[in-house]
Amino acid sequence: MNGSLINVGVAQVKTGTQPAVLRTILGSCVGICIYDRMKKIGGLAHILLPNDTANGANPEKFADTAVPYLVQYLLKEGAKKEFLSAKIAGGASMFKFEANVSLGQIGDRNVEEVKKALQKFQIPILEEDTGGNTGRVIDFFLEDGRLKVKAAGQEKIYYKV
Amino acid sequence: MHAHIKQRIESTINNIAALPTMPEVATKILNMVNDPEVSFKAVAEELSKDQSMTTNILKLCNSAYFSKGKEITSIERAIVTLGIKEVTNIVMVIAAKPILDKFVIGYDLGKGELWKQGLIVGTLAKKIALQKNRKDIADVVFTGGIIHNIGKTVIAIFVQNTYNDILDEVKKNNITFNEAEKEIMGYSHQEISEKILEKWNFPPVLKAIVRFYAEPDKAPDNFKTEVSIVHIANTISIMAGIGIGSDGLYHQLCKIALDTTKITGPELEELFSKIPELTKQIMEIQ
Repeated sequence: MNGSLINVGVAQVKTGTQPAVLRTILGSCVGICIYDRMKKIGGLAHILLPNDTANGANPEKFADTAVPYLVQYLLKEGAKKEFLSAKIAGGASMFKFEANVSLGQIGDRNVEEVKKALQKFQIPILEEDTGGNTGRVIDFFLEDGRLKVKAAGQEKIYYKV
Repeated sequence: MHAHIKQRIESTINNIAALPTMPEVATKILNMVNDPEVSFKAVAEELSKDQSMTTNILKLCNSAYFSKGKEITSIERAIVTLGIKEVTNIVMVIAAKPILDKFVIGYDLGKGELWKQGLIVGTLAKKIALQKNRKDIADVVFTGGIIHNIGKTVIAIFVQNTYNDILDEVKKNNITFNEAEKEIMGYSHQEISEKILEKWNFPPVLKAIVRFYAEPDKAPDNFKTEVSIVHIANTISIMAGIGIGSDGLYHQLCKIALDTTKITGPELEELFSKIPELTKQIMEIQ
């Protein structure tokens, strides 16, 4: 299984089929995992910011452009919209943020925008592991769509697809 | 507080051999360039004595990250083309890599994560200095950014044993992870970093950066700007998940760092948004 581990960097979208595992590390960013349970293909978008400020030049960086980018890719690969579901993780905040600047709320803003974007495609969010002050290492297993979230030394696995 | 852990840390930091080593040539060069009278010939001679350092310098000089376009084939050309300070930055990258480019237990950092964070924080810190018209400190914050977490490599094993207690302390007393490190183990990783730099004979400004990067409010006035810049660069890096470990985001962003550097909210967000591009830039020297 380790042979098929695919690392997803900041502002990247990666896709794959079973038995690949997509991994990313999240702070205030959000990882969006979308899976087609029939075709067993899926993708992970690691977004940095909520809204596109690059006029489409960098669709993988923003929630409002990365979600359509990933969904369209999966549909092109033969996924069916009615079989797609999502799990999201990340969106943490700094424990103490003295300054009153917008970056302080970036985690929450990211989560909110991701939800909006998924709603536009009517893709249900089945599991959500967001907020708080922990970093998260997430592994998205494309054999069955499960999501493993490692945070603050503990692991949780979300199975719903 | 675990007294036996504190004792074990003390015996580690008092045992010079247990601390990471810095190649002699790197320390020499770092102190030489602090002298405004230093001649580039003297620097070139010193570097040329170390064959593997020379080879590595030439390789990095010609990487897209450092290159000025023309191919560089000798140390003399490197100094003339890039300047003594940039060549020193290259030396520091080469010297720090073997110390930082490893798996860090306790903080749960995969191999290369701490190193990647050092490069990102150094690059961001330099960018902030230049943006704020402080070219004079751009190189020192670059080096400081690269090595700011160096103490983690030594204290990590003790964090591994006390992690749950540290995290409980964070939540119970509403303090940052670093503050809780000190409460539980008697030392924070920043204090260990300072000890390492003392061993290496590094200049006071770098010692101040590694000691106070997480609490710039406590930094000495004469180095407050340098410390604040690295504080901001580090905050941006961990928010983007780069170098984020089991200590997560249990850290703080100090307002005093923003006031000292006069960095604005939009500037902060702009720097954060550049992380993917910076990650690509450092790939070559990683």
